Amino acid sequence: MPGQPTLRISHVGLRGVVGPGGLTAAHVLDFASAFGTFLESGGPVVVGRDPRASGVMLRDGVLASLLACGHDVVDLGIVSSPVIQHAIRRLDAAGGISIGASHNAVEWNALKFFGHRGIYLSTAESSELLDIYHLRKFAFADWTAVGKLRAESGAIDRYLDDLAAAYDFTALRRAKVVVDCCNGTSSPILRRMNERFGFQFILINETTEGVWFAHEPSTTRSTMALQLAPLVRPLGADAGFLFDADSDRVAFSTGSGDPISEEVVLPLLADFLLPHSSGKLVITNLSTTALTEEIAQRHGGKVVRVPVGRQSAMDALARYRPEQIALAGEGTGAVMMPRFRFVYDGIASMLAILAMTLERGQPLSVIVAAYPRYSILKGQVPLSPQRIPALFVELRERYHDGRADISDGLRVDWPDRWFHVRVSQTEPILRVICERRGDPPIGLFDSLMEQARAHAA
Amino acid sequence: MPREHLLKIGVSGIRGVVGEFLTPQLARAFAQAFGTYVGAGRVVVGRDTRATGPMLQHAVQCGLLAAGCEVIDVGVLPTPTIQIYTGATHARGGIAITASHNPPEYNALKLFNSAGLFFNHYERSELLDIYHQSGFRQASNHEIRGVSADYSTPPRLHFDRVLAHVDRDRIRARRFRVALDGVNGAGSVMSVAFLRDLLGCELHAISVDPTQVFPRIAEPRPDTLGELSALVRRHSCDIGFAQDPDGDRLAVADESGRVLDNDDVLALAVEAALARRPGDVVVNLTTSAAIDDIARRFGVRVWRTPVGEANVVETMQSAGAVIGGEGSNGGIVFPAVHSCRDSYTGMAFLLDRMAATGATISALAAALPRYYRKYATVQFEHGRLGPLMQALEDNYADAEFDRSDGLKLTTPSGWIHVRSSNTEPILRLAAEAKSEAAVEDLFNQVLRLTG
Repeated sequence: MPGQPTLRISHVGLRGVVGPGGLTAAHVLDFASAFGTFLESGGPVVVGRDPRASGVMLRDGVLASLLACGHDVVDLGIVSSPVIQHAIRRLDAAGGISIGASHNAVEWNALKFFGHRGIYLSTAESSELLDIYHLRKFAFADWTAVGKLRAESGAIDRYLDDLAAAYDFTALRRAKVVVDCCNGTSSPILRRMNERFGFQFILINETTEGVWFAHEPSTTRSTMALQLAPLVRPLGADAGFLFDADSDRVAFSTGSGDPISEEVVLPLLADFLLPHSSGKLVITNLSTTALTEEIAQRHGGKVVRVPVGRQSAMDALARYRPEQIALAGEGTGAVMMPRFRFVYDGIASMLAILAMTLERGQPLSVIVAAYPRYSILKGQVPLSPQRIPALFVELRERYHDGRADISDGLRVDWPDRWFHVRVSQTEPILRVICERRGDPPIGLFDSLMEQARAHAA
Repeated sequence: MPREHLLKIGVSGIRGVVGEFLTPQLARAFAQAFGTYVGAGRVVVGRDTRATGPMLQHAVQCGLLAAGCEVIDVGVLPTPTIQIYTGATHARGGIAITASHNPPEYNALKLFNSAGLFFNHYERSELLDIYHQSGFRQASNHEIRGVSADYSTPPRLHFDRVLAHVDRDRIRARRFRVALDGVNGAGSVMSVAFLRDLLGCELHAISVDPTQVFPRIAEPRPDTLGELSALVRRHSCDIGFAQDPDGDRLAVADESGRVLDNDDVLALAVEAALARRPGDVVVNLTTSAAIDDIARRFGVRVWRTPVGEANVVETMQSAGAVIGGEGSNGGIVFPAVHSCRDSYTGMAFLLDRMAATGATISALAAALPRYYRKYATVQFEHGRLGPLMQALEDNYADAEFDRSDGLKLTTPSGWIHVRSSNTEPILRLAAEAKSEAAVEDLFNQVLRLTG
């Protein structure tokens, strides 16, 4: 949609299509200067990016702003967000910025902010950051105190040291796995794992030139069906994995080449981790599959549902002690584990899934086949903001027999099915999701979509 | 207390004190305006050794990349080297991040066109309009080019250009003992390689560590070069050189450690150039009449321009001059190398002249036409220049007047040039005459009129 304004400035940072009407150099300088003003001094600031061509422009703007605010900066180059977060802890840094638009198409870019210890900013912190951005009163350092920049190339290795301590790499490296890197940050990590630990990852779309991605960097089942799934069986691989551009999300296909819904990643990992975990809580959002509850109940776990978005997940995490939590994640394939200090990390999730197949002695196809069938349908309708409240009222009245949750749009639950209608945080659209245990809830979905369209732009 | 110009954005570009005034935002915006003006293509970016340089370089790169330019990072280099490389590689333009001889808290962007020259006045005002209109080109992902580095080609290119105009073997054979004060500037590393390795000098260098701060006032003037003089004396050097932080200006000390008048340095360079190939000379209004005497000897014409490198270079190009410069600030422009102030051309010319003549630098300077000069700056409100010029004209009815940059009046005994500064509310006075008494007399008369 050329010309359509795409810029989005919110609690999760700054996002847009790079160019006119979207994310520009001016926004980058101001937002990074606001972050430089917001951060306490003490410790460097860590910066990394995904391979998008525009990332170099954003990086230079970010570096200039942070240096001008008097922060020393460590530039990690092309690395995933989890690697940046790991480096922040390792270097005892004041914070970090990840430049990359994760699952958005290549023409997008974004800035994501991390505080001390690599943690995403809390809502209160990001509110302060936004206020500084809007005031545009930045605390630039005196010319004698401008920060110093250094590049670091070993961040991926230090991150892998940590993963190697958590998983049995000697056993895991025997797995024959095809990975679709979607020209993203998983590529340098997995290549290094092959080199350094003798893994047998067969990589496709592993170049990182950043002008185009082979396909949308989304971890959906349909993206997987595009290139990856058909390759798994001919290559004789045990599984296929698909990452988004900053490799915080992952989806997988079985060894027989069946693309599995990205919704299954969280319940699968709950199935693996709950029996090992003293924490019994699974934190997820209102749009994620109900298979999560069914699996959690098998292991005495409890699902806590929160509004969609990383910010809500972080706020929910803050309400519990870490040892109460088994894992947190969403239906997009983004999962955080306590072992990795609650960082959305697709690589760690993949290793956990592979570890699960080893522990069970079963291939993924067998494990997944044992789960009850849930069918989820997802749709979207262009937004007409002034008519949304009326839509929610109508939907509540029409589906008054279900249990309603209005913490994020409207979710209505029945024993065997549910729907969730909400406004996207990243795009001007209304999202409609509904799921049923068994066959797809086509009738419910169609009438929801019809009603939503009646209120559309 | 004069008003301090902590930030200046104008036709000369952008300059200011880094921190509260010269921000990464402003540098980014100016660079993006520049990128929009020169068009998507290669743009060369380099800087001097100021601590704020890397920060500003990233801001500049951000603006250029956003405008769809491809950035060629040449790192820390003298301004003339960046200009030569920009011209030689047919880049769309170049940006040097340097505040030249200004104090270390300042930084600035110097902007060059595809020939590696300063933009002319009309181009500069066009660029300034684009900056103010803010309608910059915004490249999208597939239009954004990258940054590549080339640190090795520019110095080589620069040295080759300079050495083509001197007799290198003749210089090497003399094994000159040379003192160098690099002010820890952009020329530090290059100058050592140039003088020691290429010209075979026995080099005694101080302040040639580009990672350190400027150890003296950045402008190379007689009163700031005590260390160079001491170095010359300690090691009995044949000559001493001092550069400014971006390596375009040159100051020279003779074998006794005395720092030569910059006008004499220019005059020696003009002599050297005209001896090789006669042609027209361009200097600013404040430059010594010694240049006229030398030109007369070679039968060539001298063109006078308002003060400022860009003015001198512009006239040199239209006149097809073989050499030019600005006496008072130590700038030598030799277009056969490149139409920019270049300390390396100056160093090579002087060493070559010493080698060719067998004379010491002090003897060469002593042989120049002798004039006495006096400079001063006076606090002065901008609006009062008109009445002052009128009073001068009334007082010197017989003098010859030039009003192209303030007022220069030439009498049979000498000349005096009065101009207001572009940046500060001060008046700059320069006077020259054949005798010390005459210059004092001229100077004091004018000083009285400024009241």
